[in-house]
Amino acid sequence: MAAKTPEYDVIVIGTGAGGGMAIKTLCEAGLTVCALNSGRRLDPAKDFRNHRQPYDMVYRGFGDPRKRDGFYHIENEYTDGHWEHGITYTTAPGTSWEWPRCHAVGGKTNFWGRSAARMGDIDFKTATVDGGYDVDWPVSYDEIAPYYSRVERMIGVASTVQGRPSNPDGEYLPPMKLRCLDHILGRGCDSLGIPYLPDRLAQLTVAHEGHPPCHYCGNCTEGCDTGSFFSTPWFFLPLAEKTGKLELRTNAVVRSILGNEDGRARGVAYVDRETKQEVEVNARAVVVAASCVESARILLNSTSRQWPNGLGNSSGQAGRNLCDHLYGTTGYGYLPQLLGQPSFPDNVSASQVVWMPRWQNLRSPHQETFVRGYSIYPTGGCGEFPWYHEQIEGFGSQLKRDIKRHYPTPVSFYCQIPSLPSATNYVDIDPEIKDRYGIPVVRVHFQWGPNELLMWEHAKQATASVIRAAGGTVWGAGKEPYTPGWSLHETGTLRMGNDPRRFVTNPFGQTHDVGNVFVADASVFLGCTDKTTTLSILAFALRTSEHLVDRLRRGAV
Amino acid sequence: MAGQGLERREVLRILALAAGASTHPGFSRWSFACGHGGSGLVQMKPPRYTPRFFSADEYATVERLARLIIPSDGSPGAHEAGVSEFIDFIVSSDPGVQYRFRYGLTWLDAHAGKLHGGAFRTLDEPAQNDLLGRLAYRDRYRDGEDEGRAFFKLIREYTIMGFYTSKIGLEQLDYPGLRIYAESPGCPHPDDPEHRRLPAPKP
Repeated sequence: MAAKTPEYDVIVIGTGAGGGMAIKTLCEAGLTVCALNSGRRLDPAKDFRNHRQPYDMVYRGFGDPRKRDGFYHIENEYTDGHWEHGITYTTAPGTSWEWPRCHAVGGKTNFWGRSAARMGDIDFKTATVDGGYDVDWPVSYDEIAPYYSRVERMIGVASTVQGRPSNPDGEYLPPMKLRCLDHILGRGCDSLGIPYLPDRLAQLTVAHEGHPPCHYCGNCTEGCDTGSFFSTPWFFLPLAEKTGKLELRTNAVVRSILGNEDGRARGVAYVDRETKQEVEVNARAVVVAASCVESARILLNSTSRQWPNGLGNSSGQAGRNLCDHLYGTTGYGYLPQLLGQPSFPDNVSASQVVWMPRWQNLRSPHQETFVRGYSIYPTGGCGEFPWYHEQIEGFGSQLKRDIKRHYPTPVSFYCQIPSLPSATNYVDIDPEIKDRYGIPVVRVHFQWGPNELLMWEHAKQATASVIRAAGGTVWGAGKEPYTPGWSLHETGTLRMGNDPRRFVTNPFGQTHDVGNVFVADASVFLGCTDKTTTLSILAFALRTSEHLVDRLRRGAV
Repeated sequence: MAGQGLERREVLRILALAAGASTHPGFSRWSFACGHGGSGLVQMKPPRYTPRFFSADEYATVERLARLIIPSDGSPGAHEAGVSEFIDFIVSSDPGVQYRFRYGLTWLDAHAGKLHGGAFRTLDEPAQNDLLGRLAYRDRYRDGEDEGRAFFKLIREYTIMGFYTSKIGLEQLDYPGLRIYAESPGCPHPDDPEHRRLPAPKP
């Protein structure tokens, strides 16, 4: 077959945090980019329903019960249609994996939790720190810190300087103000030596880079109609489009990356969701940023004579070492100090104001029965729905009074616990099942391991201590952690490292096997930490994209 | 005491009879009865709500239960907020819960008949309160009434859901969300971080 002239410099698969950063960086460097996104473009004025009251919604925000399996879920009536859970994956026996997908342009950045802490050397040098479990990241904090700074300036992160080496400080906008419940819980934490601090929150407390400040309506995770927190459709894609170098193709579900006879990638094959036709697009290089598991799926489905086990998989490591954050309600109760007090807007920024960053295993790595550490996020106060009604007995006028009296008082905590990389947690391609476009789906093999379950027990005890130390009353805690997949914080599967026999990509996200294929999402991470992934995806994707620009300019991919 | 609870068999028998006898009105006018400004929706409450799922008698019982759970006691309650309409609508949309409602309502009427000689909705208020009290308060629980307690928990949950997602209910909580604030609202008691000296709440 005659070689085709590449139509674009780079194809970017995905428009979330990693893809969006790649698109912006490449376009601004003057390269032509074809961005492929598996879903449609959202219209903030029409698709974001964050300013609607529950009684404006047919099912009061709970969603059509015939379509939903629970009342409270990331996927609700406000975000109906933005999340899909068709058969894009199967699970191995013994695996439960709950995993809604946002295919819209911008992906999960449309609705993310906005917690944006830097990782530090406690995370990157984790094997050295904790005495040899797994391996260190191939990048040190000093190398990545300048990228964190640039990302923080681009997106705007509100926090304070906290001087804790385990949580490196960044360049911050003014913090969100603390609420009554924060002062009370903070005192309790102080007495126990547990940090209770303003979160690193990607939320604009002041106007920033042409974006208006937050108006504190409180429904951030239903999409922001003013673009006052970072998402790629509000922040990056307009900048890329301004260069005239971007072609964004929506509803393009990628089947595989296509190879040349010389073993390099020549382009990408995708299915147009509307026409159901298969389309091929060619470029000098490909950036894969479809999100951790989807990126692994694309590489594993990209088989050819040169790549019998999938692209970039000569190590056999593609799809391996799937990590996730164990989330769960570690405790809930109420603060009697606030009984009967007037309502207060506690729910600003969806109650995401503070966090209790990792405090375990800091002085020595083996203080606890588990290795590494976790963080906790407190929430509470006057929310929308009085979920605490289950704690109050009876009916009639007394019930009505008690619900109102308790309205400012409830608190609830959830944990962010990293799973350890494990040989038994991975994805592969299901040998039988294909999605509605004829593309083989991934099969997820995943279970919580003993280390994360020890942390879960520890976190429940710590939470109860905090509520009591703050003068509060404990009502209970989640019986089980949430189902794996729930956090949408998957990492691993295409890990980066110097040794081509053990890692899929090099420290710049370039696949060891195929020099013109790069990975720019959390799949290159060595695992999860106690921090969220988005800020680090942005920082690493910026570094990868600039590396690619440099290589393309020098004709060296 | 044995025999106080209804036999499951007996409830099933009554249910089977009811299913044969009742016809369910189809989709009709309905309203959440919670007007709100600015949305441009037409605010009309039909004079009489036609249930989508419940029979007329069942619906009357649901309305009565909702009024007992969140009463109109000087401030508007479940009745004003149209809670029974919400319950009927949400149950009609949720095949997974329909049996539990129908079973529970049947249990309640059969139990009311046994204790007070009539369907629940026909009893006077003290009798209704007495019957519900046994299902609602731990120290009044009776043996053999666990199915009734499960139903009370269910109808209470749906009543609370319906009430506190209505405009009336959210106003009673003084829900402070979905408003526009110029800056991040901070705790108004900076000199009392432990919040031990707050002004006494209004009664």
